[in-house]
Amino acid sequence: MDSSKKKEGRMQTEDMAEKKSSRRDFIKKMSIAAAAGSAGLVVGGCSGTPASEKMGLKWQEYFKKHYRLMTQEEKDATVTRLERLAKLERGIDVQMSDQGPHEQVLFGYAFNISRCKGYMDCVEACVQENNLDRRGKTQYVRIFEMDPGQLDPTAGDGQYHHEVPVKNKFYMGVQCFHCENAPCIKACPTKATWREPDGIVVIDYDWCIGCRYCLAACPYWGRRFNWGDPEVPNEEINLKQHYLGNRMRMKGVMEKCTFCIQRTRQGKLPACADACPTGSRVFGNLLDPDSEIRFVLANKKVFRFKEDLGTDPKFWYFMD
Amino acid sequence: MTTTPRKGFAAFISDCMRWSLTGGIGYKLYLVVLFGLIGAGIYAYSQQFQYGLRITGMSDIVSWGLYISNFTFFVGVAAAAVMLILPAYILKDKDLHQVVIIGEGVAVGALIMCLLFITVDMGGPLKVWHMIPGIGLFNWPSSILTWDVLVLNGYLALNSMVPLYILYCNYHGRKPVGWKYKPFVFLSIFWAVSIHMTTAFLYQGLPARPFWNNPLLGPRFLASAFAAGPAVIMMVLIVIKESTSYPIDTNIFKKLKRIIVVSAIVNLVMLFSEVFKEFYSFTHHSLSAQYLFFGLEGHDSLVPWIWTAISLNILGTLLFAFDPTKCNPKYLMAAAISLFTGIWIEKGFGLIIPGFVPSPLGEVVDYTPSILEIMITVGILAAGAFVVTMLIKPALVIEMRLREQAGTAGGGE
Amino acid sequence: MSKVSYVTGLFLGALATVVMMNQAATASGSPGSESVKDKIEHATEPFDSMKVTTAYPLPVKTVEAREQYQGGGFKVLARKDQITRFRCSVCHNDKPVKVQNGVLFTHSDIQLNHGLGRNMLTCNECHSIQDRDFLVDKEGRKIDFDHSYQLCGKCHFRQKRDWLGGAHGKRETYWAGERVVRNCTSCHSPHSPAFPTKMPATYSLPLDE
Repeated sequence: MDSSKKKEGRMQTEDMAEKKSSRRDFIKKMSIAAAAGSAGLVVGGCSGTPASEKMGLKWQEYFKKHYRLMTQEEKDATVTRLERLAKLERGIDVQMSDQGPHEQVLFGYAFNISRCKGYMDCVEACVQENNLDRRGKTQYVRIFEMDPGQLDPTAGDGQYHHEVPVKNKFYMGVQCFHCENAPCIKACPTKATWREPDGIVVIDYDWCIGCRYCLAACPYWGRRFNWGDPEVPNEEINLKQHYLGNRMRMKGVMEKCTFCIQRTRQGKLPACADACPTGSRVFGNLLDPDSEIRFVLANKKVFRFKEDLGTDPKFWYFMD
Repeated sequence: MTTTPRKGFAAFISDCMRWSLTGGIGYKLYLVVLFGLIGAGIYAYSQQFQYGLRITGMSDIVSWGLYISNFTFFVGVAAAAVMLILPAYILKDKDLHQVVIIGEGVAVGALIMCLLFITVDMGGPLKVWHMIPGIGLFNWPSSILTWDVLVLNGYLALNSMVPLYILYCNYHGRKPVGWKYKPFVFLSIFWAVSIHMTTAFLYQGLPARPFWNNPLLGPRFLASAFAAGPAVIMMVLIVIKESTSYPIDTNIFKKLKRIIVVSAIVNLVMLFSEVFKEFYSFTHHSLSAQYLFFGLEGHDSLVPWIWTAISLNILGTLLFAFDPTKCNPKYLMAAAISLFTGIWIEKGFGLIIPGFVPSPLGEVVDYTPSILEIMITVGILAAGAFVVTMLIKPALVIEMRLREQAGTAGGGE
Repeated sequence: MSKVSYVTGLFLGALATVVMMNQAATASGSPGSESVKDKIEHATEPFDSMKVTTAYPLPVKTVEAREQYQGGGFKVLARKDQITRFRCSVCHNDKPVKVQNGVLFTHSDIQLNHGLGRNMLTCNECHSIQDRDFLVDKEGRKIDFDHSYQLCGKCHFRQKRDWLGGAHGKRETYWAGERVVRNCTSCHSPHSPAFPTKMPATYSLPLDE
């Protein structure tokens, strides 16, 4: 970054022609070297020691495209590479899926604030299901103990740890709301986060550059950043993974609730909805007129959090 | 030292490098100190590169800290070069024309610092090629960050190309050809305004952060930049006047002072406007301002900083406005340091940190930068100082030589 | 020369202004995309959720519900396999039970706490005296244990209506495919239906280090 290197790139000089040819030679030599190097690494990646195989796989992973631009073959190839890397690095057998969205499906979620008793089974189930960092205690789902008469979690307590439910308090859960008009999607400079056709807002972890602009843009604190390498004990890793969901993340990338994409695209409820012992969480397909979520929206008085910001979230709250 | 400059761009570069590194014992000591700080910064960054950003004091709640705070401030300093370029080239002010090259050097140094701050703040700096359109994906025009990437790099190109061309011509003792650089100068004037407004829009465009989401942020950035930037330039000029033989007329200081006073007063008016809005009708959106000025739920680490900043800001403004010493360099240096520090605190972490506290869910935390984070920041500041020194020292040599040869006052046209 | 510069400057200034205004206009959210409300309103066709499920059928015993929900028929988790001593008529038939402290031996785990104050329920208000293998409602109609919702819903009709639709209670494991829901007693003990007070499963850390 010093001055001489900067002046190297400027073209407004008299010796432009002379400079151009020497620069062209230089670039030619560098690209040959790079091609040779990458060829060597790929060859080394296919055979040889586990260390060189790992290097080769990582090299290919580094240069891969954005997920949305990949063909199905490329998607399958990266899934295979990631499964192999998991085996080499941790010795575990991961089943990674890149299953796409179903047609005519738009996921919606409803939370009953009369029923939630603050048990936090959902928080723990999410941590287990999605391989969240145990050291930093990352939690996608947060539960707030609220005083009646106020809806603003500013007044709520997100760090309670006593017997629940407490009389005269109600409990409100928040997580990523998968907004239709998400500010995080607009903010991302590399389009590393986007909304899938079935409504889930996902992140291509390998594409994220870690600028954290989306974290600043989210009005619901729905996104988390991996400040260090996430640590999950091998025996606790959930081996059924999805490329856009609960696969192991790395330091320096964002992550968030994905409505358990590895489960919901197979017809299962997300882990939080499945774990709730009081039945406060309703999940389903908004485009199915007979679904439970549509029944809730039609028959219950529902509201959305910070609706005035125009984010159009697909997460509603209701009361009995 | 050669009497006649040798031909060729390579000779120009090697002469410039030689001039940058020669100097008295004080100058060499200054360079050694800078290298030391830069080295410490590089070591600290190697730790961050290996372990991740968890070695900093940032968290999921205060996710931008010292790095982005300094980035925000120094983009303003870079934009403020326009306050010298505008009078020098459009209003044809002879005095300021002598020092405009120094202003451009400061701008380039500040921009290099900004790019470095962004690089160290990223979680995956090796993946920055993901932003290049064609081989990556560039979310333009939706993401203001992409606009910022474009305008900052464009401004860097403009502000390095033009002085480089002029210096190169002066090195060979000939006048720079007007049509080759004047359009870019005009472009850079408007571009300077746009780089700082775009950086302001990064924060202004987020309804999730009510502390930032107000229409005054962009203009406020411009006002504080045009107060703090010329203050930096004034400090550099004072150092040059005191330690080299480069002639700097007192008129230059008078004009700079005028620019600073007007901008600083506008900045204070805007500050008052913001404070009124936050505290007259206190809503939940004002909690960030309460955290900054008075503390919130027992977290008050920024309170002494902001009050110091505002005091220094007002003090600096008053010192510049009512100068009884008629541009005495020591007095101006004190005033410049006061104003610069006040604005650096208030626009740096006095703006970024409260934007994140309380979190969108109402949680209040304090932010304390870690030692490694401070080392990296200081390293980058030292790198910026180094760049500015490397650019200005040869520029001064070339300009002085041109004057000796031309035998008239006033540098190349 | 100066006139050229002046004109160039004006042109560039106008260009910069236009560019900056464009920035505000194009970077703003596009109202072109449909809102969730619109998408829901346009989705009136029935959705065949049977084509979504790719996983295994549930390893639980279910019965076909005797009432329908908005999507037709559905299944309810059986209850009789959860009651260890079913069939009750093994002990409770025409002859009286002649075991010393029989209640203590067999039903001591039951804490009766259903209703408030003077409205506290007693055993015979739900359990049929004539046929202990069934529940009974106020009109004397026999109700199967597997379909206890028919009895609970007599008093708790709002919850039953919500349960049928999906706003109360819980669907078992899947959001798609065959609808299997929990019955009332899967979550609420019929004798002491209120949820217990207990420590939460985990906690959240304060977020400054």
